[in-house]
Amino acid sequence: MIALVWLIPAFPLAAFLIAGLFGRRWLGHWTGVIASAAVGLSALLSIGVFLEVLGGKEQTVVPLYRWIGVGDFSVNVAALIDPLSAVMLLVVTVVSFLIFVYSNGYMADDEGFYRFFAWLSLFVFAMLILVMADNYLLMFVGWEGVGLCSYLLIGFWFERPEPYLAAKKAFVMNRIGDWGYTIGIITIFLVFNSMNFLDVFHRLDQSAPAQNVMTIICLALFFGATGKSAQLPLYSWLPDAMEGPTPVSALIHAATMVTSGVYLVARSMPLFVAAGSSLEVVGVVGAITAIFAATIALVQFDIKRVMAYSTVSQLGYMFLALGVGAPVAAIFHLATHAFFKALLFLGSGSVIHGLGGEQDMRKMGGLRRRMPVTFWTMLVAGGALAALPPLAGFWSKDEVVTAAFVNGHAVLYAIGIITALLTAFYVTRALWMTFYGEPRDQHLFDHAHESPTVMTLPLILLGVGTVALGIAIGFPPEQGFIHRFLGPVVEAAGVVEHAPELATILLLAAVSVAAGVVGIAIGVLMYVRHRPDPAAVARAAGPLYRLLVNKYYIDELYDHRIVEAARAIAGASWAFDIHIIDGLANRLGWALAMGGQGLRRLQTGIVGNYALTIMAGLLLMLVAYGGYAAGIFGR
Amino acid sequence: MSFDFVEPVVFAVLAFGVIGAGAAVVLLDRITASALLMALTFLCMAGMFVLLGAETIAAFQVLIYVGAITVLILFGVQFTKQGGDRSYALFFQKQYPLAAALVAAVAIPVALFAFSFTAPAPPPGGGDIRPLATSVFTDYAFAFEVASVLLLAAMVGAIVLTTRDERAEAARRRK
Amino acid sequence: MTVPLGAYIAVSAGLFFIGCAGVLVRRNAVVILMCVELMLNAANLALVAFSRRFGAVDQRGSVFVIFVFVIAAAEVAVGLAIVLSAYRNRPVIDVDEIHQMKG
Repeated sequence: MIALVWLIPAFPLAAFLIAGLFGRRWLGHWTGVIASAAVGLSALLSIGVFLEVLGGKEQTVVPLYRWIGVGDFSVNVAALIDPLSAVMLLVVTVVSFLIFVYSNGYMADDEGFYRFFAWLSLFVFAMLILVMADNYLLMFVGWEGVGLCSYLLIGFWFERPEPYLAAKKAFVMNRIGDWGYTIGIITIFLVFNSMNFLDVFHRLDQSAPAQNVMTIICLALFFGATGKSAQLPLYSWLPDAMEGPTPVSALIHAATMVTSGVYLVARSMPLFVAAGSSLEVVGVVGAITAIFAATIALVQFDIKRVMAYSTVSQLGYMFLALGVGAPVAAIFHLATHAFFKALLFLGSGSVIHGLGGEQDMRKMGGLRRRMPVTFWTMLVAGGALAALPPLAGFWSKDEVVTAAFVNGHAVLYAIGIITALLTAFYVTRALWMTFYGEPRDQHLFDHAHESPTVMTLPLILLGVGTVALGIAIGFPPEQGFIHRFLGPVVEAAGVVEHAPELATILLLAAVSVAAGVVGIAIGVLMYVRHRPDPAAVARAAGPLYRLLVNKYYIDELYDHRIVEAARAIAGASWAFDIHIIDGLANRLGWALAMGGQGLRRLQTGIVGNYALTIMAGLLLMLVAYGGYAAGIFGR
Repeated sequence: MSFDFVEPVVFAVLAFGVIGAGAAVVLLDRITASALLMALTFLCMAGMFVLLGAETIAAFQVLIYVGAITVLILFGVQFTKQGGDRSYALFFQKQYPLAAALVAAVAIPVALFAFSFTAPAPPPGGGDIRPLATSVFTDYAFAFEVASVLLLAAMVGAIVLTTRDERAEAARRRK
Repeated sequence: MTVPLGAYIAVSAGLFFIGCAGVLVRRNAVVILMCVELMLNAANLALVAFSRRFGAVDQRGSVFVIFVFVIAAAEVAVGLAIVLSAYRNRPVIDVDEIHQMKG
């Protein structure tokens, strides 16, 4: 099965071509079926690959063809199949499949149906390339590809200005991160003379380069990861990306694309471990982003925005895990988060679909009676997000904060716990405002309806995953299946896993659960019993509340400082181009034309003048000849 | 009494004739006068040829230049008379100063330089017809033939250029 | 006392440049042709003078003069033909007026 691994991205690529070329005229709604089937096949193959890796084939390189071979620089298109990539393949294809099925229902009334599936298939293709690549350059191809598809899909409804502005913002911020990534891989090549993962790690083992060089590489790569995974400072595109259709938000901005940064750092763990201090930077940035985003999510009214900030926050957890030396915890959380966040988004999509497009939670309420399946699945997902046992989120998040504590990062641990509390609170708030209480808009409520089966079935399946996944792969903590599975990769990276005692584990678990319960309790108090009343709290907090609602004014800051500066530079360059460069060309042309005009005056048409010119020429020749002969002009 | 002074005197007279008549050709207003004075220039030139001992050339000069070419020029003058004796502006107003300056600039040094030529004493007597004929019909026979072809071409060309197309002009007149 | 060679050459030069000036300043086409003839004559004089004074047996200069005669005659004939046919087109003889090639 591993030998067939290149079929896994081939199916979505074929689906893209078919949907793109034939979707508009001939295939209509069949494009959805074809695309979903393609991704389904890829999922089956991924399961096969996973089983083979489980069976003992720990590291296989499956080459496709020789891509670049210029002197010393040689890069192949090849796949590296090891436990890490097997896990990623599985997560990406399975979640994608469920979302594809869901989209058949969600996008059914949209005119751009075929276009949606074309881009989405292309996205899956690029993401698979990213995950399967065996070198940094091929990974970059996938990296850029997912960025492109993200742009295309965020701006899917381009008739309105907000989507395409959001798409542009996402793409530009991604690009800024890509600059970091490029610096990273160029430096890697300069130092290690190869871009292949295995070659680089091998050479790192043999002779580690200077510390500052490694730090440069790692910080540059991490900067790229912040762009892709929406961490500080390149996070503000993700909330705006909610302008795209909800399946896009679920797939790209929750489960897959934004996790590619995490995957990058996880894959490059040997480099990060060798660079020492850069790992701390990763952890700190992750933690700060987690709590920062959680505070903003507290006060948002658009249900998708809440989920978006939640994603940023949870990604922060993953980077926190990486930073404290627990890559397994990070990948574990990545997997569980993919399931329950996708479920939360798809559920939100179901709510929005059922309400005919309304996203503002202030207009919802009491929907649990109208949309039971959606309600129950979202409840499960929300519980997972709040890290309630025995749901999946509890196991993975608990491992993250435990790792932080055990590896000695007390401050980061505290930040993690506080964020968990905030997370529990805002998810309670969101669910309560949507599904409980009295409907705030009676008209919307009356027309609300449950979504069709093609949409609710994926919800149910994801729900099952959310419940079961944590226990299946993460129990018992620190020794679960996932630890054993990813063990070889972690050892190869040189990461030392501290195995804490059982007592410590239980204690920390209790603290995590307590944080979650307290958060939910506060949420219930405020929203069910109105003690204290949320509106009153908002008034009392005054400026702090405004700060949070306006997302700390980060967007305005970026716009004012950076975008204006960029515009000024662009304006100056434009002026330079128009006036100096074009001016030069124009002046040159003008000068030649004027020269021509001037010379034209010689052509008087009067033959006598021409004869005079001949005489003058003759005079010149006589003078020259005579001068030469007489020795005046030199021999 | 030696007649040694004859040659220089004759030369002086002829030279004055050549230069004077030539200047008159350029400066005179009436073209007929110009044409006739040109003929005078040619005659004085023939005299110079005689002085140099090239009688055959002198004969040819008189035949060709004074005879044929002068008549041709006079015909041309007659055919292009612009009704009445309208006097033309003599010089190119636009070009006169510049041309005068230019020509003077070149002429004066060249003329002065010209005086510097010297030659050994001329060989005694002897006409030039024998050497001329010998050269023309032996060494330069080919060039001679080509020259006659050239004359033929010129003749044909002149006829072609001045032919009137009677039928075309009649048709034009009838319209 | 023979006339020095330089004198002949000086006369030739003078006549040549008088003809040259005439070509440049006169406006009547026929007069211009006449001045060209003057220039040709001057050249002839120079050729004959050099030929007679330097060469004893070989009179190559004079032979060349014969060819100059031929050329001059042909040139006058064709030139006048051109002038006449142009005159037939537009009855102007002032070369200043023929400036259609301006620009």
